[in-house]
Amino acid sequence: MLHRIFAILLAAVLPMAPMTASAFDESKYPDFQGQWKRKLGTVNAWDETRRPGLPQDPPLTPEYRKRWEASMADQAAGGQGNDTRVTCISNGMPRMMTILRQLEIFVRPEITLIVFENNLPRRIYTDGRDFTAKDNVPSYNGYSIGKWIDENGDGKYDVLEVETRNFKGPRNYEPSGIPLHDDNETIIRERMYLDKSSPDTLVNEITTIDNALTKPWKVAKNYRREKNAEWYEDLCTENNNHVVIGKENYFMSADGYLMPAKKGQQPPDLRYFNTTGN
Amino acid sequence: MAFTKRPIAALAFLIALALPVFDATAHDESKYPDWSGQWRRPRGLATQWDQDKPAGVAQQAPLKPEYQKMLEWSIADQAAGGQGLDTRYTCITNGMPRMMAVIQPVEFVILPHITYVHFEAFMPRRIYTDGRDFPKDSEPSFAGYSIGKWSDTDGDGRFDTLEVETRNFKGPRTVEFTGIPLHEDNQTIVKETLSLDKSNPDLMHNIITIIDNAFTRPWTVDKRYRRDRNVMWFEDNCTENNHHVVIGKENYFVNHEGYLMPARKNQAPPDLRFFDAAGK
Repeated sequence: MLHRIFAILLAAVLPMAPMTASAFDESKYPDFQGQWKRKLGTVNAWDETRRPGLPQDPPLTPEYRKRWEASMADQAAGGQGNDTRVTCISNGMPRMMTILRQLEIFVRPEITLIVFENNLPRRIYTDGRDFTAKDNVPSYNGYSIGKWIDENGDGKYDVLEVETRNFKGPRNYEPSGIPLHDDNETIIRERMYLDKSSPDTLVNEITTIDNALTKPWKVAKNYRREKNAEWYEDLCTENNNHVVIGKENYFMSADGYLMPAKKGQQPPDLRYFNTTGN
Repeated sequence: MAFTKRPIAALAFLIALALPVFDATAHDESKYPDWSGQWRRPRGLATQWDQDKPAGVAQQAPLKPEYQKMLEWSIADQAAGGQGLDTRYTCITNGMPRMMAVIQPVEFVILPHITYVHFEAFMPRRIYTDGRDFPKDSEPSFAGYSIGKWSDTDGDGRFDTLEVETRNFKGPRTVEFTGIPLHEDNQTIVKETLSLDKSNPDLMHNIITIIDNAFTRPWTVDKRYRRDRNVMWFEDNCTENNHHVVIGKENYFVNHEGYLMPARKNQAPPDLRFFDAAGK
């Protein structure tokens, strides 16, 4: 009798097994789902434990320190300094991980996608590829390869380690214009994991290795999960009143007139216009 | 046989075997169609809306006379060096439905509660498939708010068709680069039926119907996308090499040396009334 029961149950169960062959077993991965925002009370500084600008005290080489100081001086005079966001080009890596706007993370076995409201998505490949992939062309986001780690040996991944290379620039860390090197040889290493004492906090330890730095610069970003997610379409160009002509940034007034963005700024050169209108 | 001696253990073993099948956290991809890879426009096609007709007036969009005149003006303006009704030169997203013309390749990421459409040059589309209804207080957007429903049309136990309805837009939006306009009331409804071609799994059909108050009737086209399995993705930041500069309502051009230039014949220069002639 037991043989018969066993046979019936086995017959019932075995056909089900192949159905799981293509199943993505989410239970093997940490729960990164939902909407992630900056920690309450933090602004958009790179090291979120310090205020933006000088208190960041980045380990810059003297040359890049001077560039940064020039950037802040220009901003104080009404300019944009090294901050290129005024042109609506992506902040790129690593700055985009400050999360100006909220982001969403999708974990799949072969890839983890980070979807932003105001930047193009990041693709973190976890399929075992290396940096020789054909589509590894320089970009502001760089090319990211990740690896899942089961640190506590419980059979479930808990840490995503990511390395990102192959950039173009210019890029910077924060609005004050802390610069990255012009050679774009930056390497960024991230470790993302849920805080053990607070599963609604995602920690991202980011180490930047760059020739503008005297040593690797490591910061920890803490993102908070918003379960009541609402998403908006944030199109940088839609209400951008900055107008860049050549190397000059101007401002456009509410009634559509070009205005200087800083004191004493020269108007654009109109040599290509026929002033008689003919 | 150990199982016959320990029936409870045998049952426990069988239940354990069966558990993964009922694991609530597993995403059973075998229930969904294989839309992996990169989807592109069919070879040889430009970005016209109806792929079977040339762009512009030849599209025979069912426009009301007022909107047909707007299209004709847009085409004439473009012929004179302007942009007509096409707003893409400002790098604002094309929005729906035009973004589904797939200027650059797209990717579909299917999860049980949502399907993501990833673009190289636009923010992604979110198509919610979790049974929600259209929210009453969501912000209008160029991409709109999309709700989808999977169906198994051939009854083989696997979803094969995604039906999507998109509403709640802002504008201005156009259907194609020639400037086929949509109504300023932004009450557009876009219905899509996405499925793989039955005889060619590397061909996707997106039957798109636009219901809009600029039209005399709903306009349906069959967009076809071809799959590229040798996937390569690129970052297309529209503003990066955009030489168009909009000042007020005028579009100008910035040349490679950084000088402002007229974008059309006899275009007046921008009004510089806010600049001190002495540069102070």
